[in-house]
Amino acid sequence: MAATGESKSMSGRTSTTAACNLAKSGDDLLWLLRTAEDAINGLVVAFQDLAGHTDTTLKLTAAIVERVQDESVVSVLPSVRALGVAAKLFLGERLQATTGILETVTAEMALLSKLSAVTEGQGKIALDINMLTVHTKIEVAHLGSVGAGFEYLAHELADFSHSLTENTKELASHTDKRKDAAENTQHMLSVELPQLRKELTRVEVNLRDDLAQLEAGLTELSRMPEQFRVSAEDIARQIAGVVVAVQGYDITRQQVEHVQEALEVISQRFLKTDGSTEGVSQETAHAHAGLVIQIHQLHAIRATIAEWKSQIMTCMDGIFRISASDIVGIGPLVLEQERSMSSQLSHIEMLERECQAYGERIRSTLEGITNLSQLFTEHLRESEAARNRLRLLTFNSVIEASRLGARADTICVIADGIAEVSAEWGMIAEHSGSTLEEILELSERINEVMATFSGASDEQLNRTQEQTGAGLESLREASGFAASQGQKIGQTIETMRAGSGEIGKIGDQLDACFGRIDEVLSEVEKVKSQLEADYPEVKEEYDSEEIERLFSATYTTQAERDVLRTAIYGTAPSIAQSSSIGNDVELF
Amino acid sequence: MRRILTVDDSASMRQMVSFTLRKAGYEVTEAVDGKDGLDKVAGEKFDLIITDLNMPNVDGIQMITGVRKTPGYSFVPILMLSTESQAEKKNEGRKAGATGWIVKPFNAEQLVAVVQKLVK
Repeated sequence: MAATGESKSMSGRTSTTAACNLAKSGDDLLWLLRTAEDAINGLVVAFQDLAGHTDTTLKLTAAIVERVQDESVVSVLPSVRALGVAAKLFLGERLQATTGILETVTAEMALLSKLSAVTEGQGKIALDINMLTVHTKIEVAHLGSVGAGFEYLAHELADFSHSLTENTKELASHTDKRKDAAENTQHMLSVELPQLRKELTRVEVNLRDDLAQLEAGLTELSRMPEQFRVSAEDIARQIAGVVVAVQGYDITRQQVEHVQEALEVISQRFLKTDGSTEGVSQETAHAHAGLVIQIHQLHAIRATIAEWKSQIMTCMDGIFRISASDIVGIGPLVLEQERSMSSQLSHIEMLERECQAYGERIRSTLEGITNLSQLFTEHLRESEAARNRLRLLTFNSVIEASRLGARADTICVIADGIAEVSAEWGMIAEHSGSTLEEILELSERINEVMATFSGASDEQLNRTQEQTGAGLESLREASGFAASQGQKIGQTIETMRAGSGEIGKIGDQLDACFGRIDEVLSEVEKVKSQLEADYPEVKEEYDSEEIERLFSATYTTQAERDVLRTAIYGTAPSIAQSSSIGNDVELF
Repeated sequence: MRRILTVDDSASMRQMVSFTLRKAGYEVTEAVDGKDGLDKVAGEKFDLIITDLNMPNVDGIQMITGVRKTPGYSFVPILMLSTESQAEKKNEGRKAGATGWIVKPFNAEQLVAVVQKLVK
């Protein structure tokens, strides 16, 4: 290596000082290596713990996600929607039917009043016939032996009067009872109809509200664990990144070792430069080149450590920021919503039972009307037969009275009376018949309305109730599961956070260790500056390839070689040999 | 359970390899350098060995050569886990009897996948 004539050599004292300072820096690096090893081991253990906890968290979250995405849970919303439609239909139909029944019962009340009038008329006729019976009997007694032919008429009249009185009483009693029942039913329906209307609106609104809440809860239940999983996976990646970075300590360790060895060699070279040589000696030039390389290596080490620290901070920040509270709270929230929805389901079941009870009452109303119409039919049939017989007897009596002449005039008057009563009875019977027809028509209408109470809406409602019940059961289980898993996740996150104190201590330890790098760097830069001040031309006094050969001999990593080339040739560092996820295995 | 020997003078590296493989269901034994590794191989049977290259006492290449001479270890897979990425070094490792090479830091999932493939 050529020395320039104008250059002055480093004084022997300066060289010795530089050598001592570099040796001391080398010792600092040895101390750093010894101390950092424990901190690095601690960091590895701490981050492995974190990785384990994150793994647990991810497994717990995945289990929630799997359970929540189960078909039976997912189907609960459509089931509840279908239940809402079915319940609305069911209650709507019953409301309509009840309105129809109320109208029918009101109409029945009017018909029953008509029947009361009929029975009253019958009662009057029964009295008239009774009177005619008495007159006939008196006349039979008055006529003596010639009036024997009228005894049968008197007897028949008495029978007819008696049976008509009895029938009238029976009909009147039934009609009154029926009127009472109809009045009760009318009252009941008048009271219950507005309630049923209110109930329909209430069920509709409640179901809509509960459905909206449940839908929101379910959306959260399916979104929250997934969102949490993404955050946890992010932390897992950061932890893995730190673990990979810490693995790289093996490279950093070797870098530090090699810097320490180089500083020792350079120190030796300074000691050899005792000021006896004029200009820049080869030893001085090599020492300067070595210092430049070591400065680059130290900067690279510092950058690596800064990168670790940043990765660790980001990771810890992520652990502190991740919120388990949402995932812990979502299970109980959905459980609450499920309970509210289940109570709606119970309420609908209760309404259904109440509607069935209405049905029973309406059925008994229908039976009462049927019984009454049967009774009237029977009564009319019997009365008609008796009237026909009476008409025949009256006809025979008129013939017999004509044969007896003036003596039987009274019998003729009685026969006219019977004919009048019979005609009157005929009118009443006709009137009864038309009322009866109306009653039968009413029965048919009630029958039609009653069909609603056993219609298809029952089946639809039952089916949706069953489906919703099963869906809510699955949801209950899933929410319970999410709640218990969420709690475990919360505890795991807390454990991870509790471990941050230990990581903080290790971080401080690493800071203290690698803080020495700055001191060493400062010292080495000082020596280099001194050298450059003493020998401004020192930079041009060495062969780059020779320097590369000299200093790369001990390098075992691509990272070190890259830094060396940057230091000597000013080339940009090649792409890092390791990625944040670590290197693959190359099989031979 | 398959048994794996990991040899490295860096405690943290041993720890990380052990953690990764234990989590994957393997039984892992640690050796602090090549000499310790050879001693363990002589006394026990392993299904796979993962070793560092630069170690005190006996380095990785020397250890592989020794392992291959040990009865029953001719075909046991040996992976080198090193900071070295130079082709000459890899070639040296291959000639000594290494099955594969991993430049530190390793990818945990990849390592497990390869180990599973090699010891199945």
